[in-house]
Amino acid sequence: MSALSARHVWTYRALFMAVSLVLITLKLLPLNLASSGVPGPDLLVLLAFAWIVRQPAVVPLGVLLAVFLLADFLFMRPPGLWTVLTILASESLRRRRLTMTEFPFLVEWGAVAVAIMGMVLLNRSALWILLVDLDPLGLTLAHAIVTIAIYPVVVVISKYLFGLRKLGPAELEAL
Amino acid sequence: MARDSYDGTYARPVRRLLLAVLILFLLSLVLLWRIDNPRVERIRAAIVDRYVPNMEWVMAPVTGIARMAEDFQSYRRLFEQNQELRRELQQMRAWREAALQLEQENARLLDLNRVQLDPELTFVTGIVLADSGSPFRRSVLLNVGARDGILDGWATMDGLGVVGRISGVGQRTSRVLLLTDAASRIPVTILPSGQQALMLGDNSATPMLDFVEDPQDVAAGDRIITSGDGGLFPPGLLVGQVVFTSDQRMRARMAADLQRLNFLRVMRSHPGTTLDDPAGLIGPPWPPAGMRVDDDGALVPADAARAEAPEDPDATP
Repeated sequence: MSALSARHVWTYRALFMAVSLVLITLKLLPLNLASSGVPGPDLLVLLAFAWIVRQPAVVPLGVLLAVFLLADFLFMRPPGLWTVLTILASESLRRRRLTMTEFPFLVEWGAVAVAIMGMVLLNRSALWILLVDLDPLGLTLAHAIVTIAIYPVVVVISKYLFGLRKLGPAELEAL
Repeated sequence: MARDSYDGTYARPVRRLLLAVLILFLLSLVLLWRIDNPRVERIRAAIVDRYVPNMEWVMAPVTGIARMAEDFQSYRRLFEQNQELRRELQQMRAWREAALQLEQENARLLDLNRVQLDPELTFVTGIVLADSGSPFRRSVLLNVGARDGILDGWATMDGLGVVGRISGVGQRTSRVLLLTDAASRIPVTILPSGQQALMLGDNSATPMLDFVEDPQDVAAGDRIITSGDGGLFPPGLLVGQVVFTSDQRMRARMAADLQRLNFLRVMRSHPGTTLDDPAGLIGPPWPPAGMRVDDDGALVPADAARAEAPEDPDATP
């Protein structure tokens, strides 16, 4: 099955939705209620970014919108804000994807790190402008750093478990 | 860029337009949330109401297995635990004796004083369905909601102590804002000194105690109960104990076990009567016995009013 065939793309779209819903559900489980300390990574964002860089057609705009808006509503976040930031960052990654395919993984990681940091800071400043109660700065930064640090793991899992390989420039040009 | 030609000549502008519209829509959603918060929160409650109970059949086994795994880890130190429990049991026997005696004494004293306890404090029990899913929010979702008569603001306890209060009620679910959440502030009383204080959640396991009148009077280990100020909570519910951190800040160790919230009691509290009229004159009953106020506002003997108030025994000596 070619990486560009319609069947392949739709299979992976469904897979993305399914994995996202599972992640949302897992996060909602009442398991570690009292755990404070280092907040866990935002796996949804990582999954979206890793897959966009690998095969952009697999994560279309509509799917991103649906998944993240649902997450915003369920996770008690301001609805729409994190979705906007994710969509903006994913668009910028989509546009810069070609340079990433030619350079080693570190460049991709750096781009994702910049995107996530930007999202977190923009999120914080938007909340500040809207006069919403802010979370502690240290926790927010720790959250961003943990998220960035987990990115390679998400990439490895998408590559070897889900078989999502990176499309080279030649294949992209062929379409 | 020649390389990006795969996007198609027509698809690109359309896509860009779509993106702009989408972003505007989302930003206006955020603004709407900020401006008309109650309405958007109602939408949120409706969405949670639809999504969360549907995934209960997934959650029940996963949660169960995870809890079993947690318990299984503790099997490894079964022996030590056993010893520990025996020791604690020994202590508890002594305490039980003391508690029984105190209970009897308390009953006697209450009887002497004819204290009116609030008889209307009943509760609804709910099961914890989900937590907030965010590292910055401390709240849980219960499987009881508006159809069970839950109202916003009611206190919620586990078996022992206060856990939080209801904030957000859907048809079948309701959200409990835990006392550890950064948005939680409740008025408390510290016993035995009777100091009033405010308990401020700050996202850590031990909320802060602030606005204490006389901090010297408070010792570590003092009991904290809700004070009922402002009509927020019913008074006298156990919250926890005072602890002092290394920097001499006063904090509360909660009596409720936030690590394992499973069943929660929502305390049905009724709005009590409030004293909100500050300027009433306090004095003897007016008009005095045997007199009445006539139409001009002057005091006259009540004889003339016998026809209107024949039941007054003091009117005629």
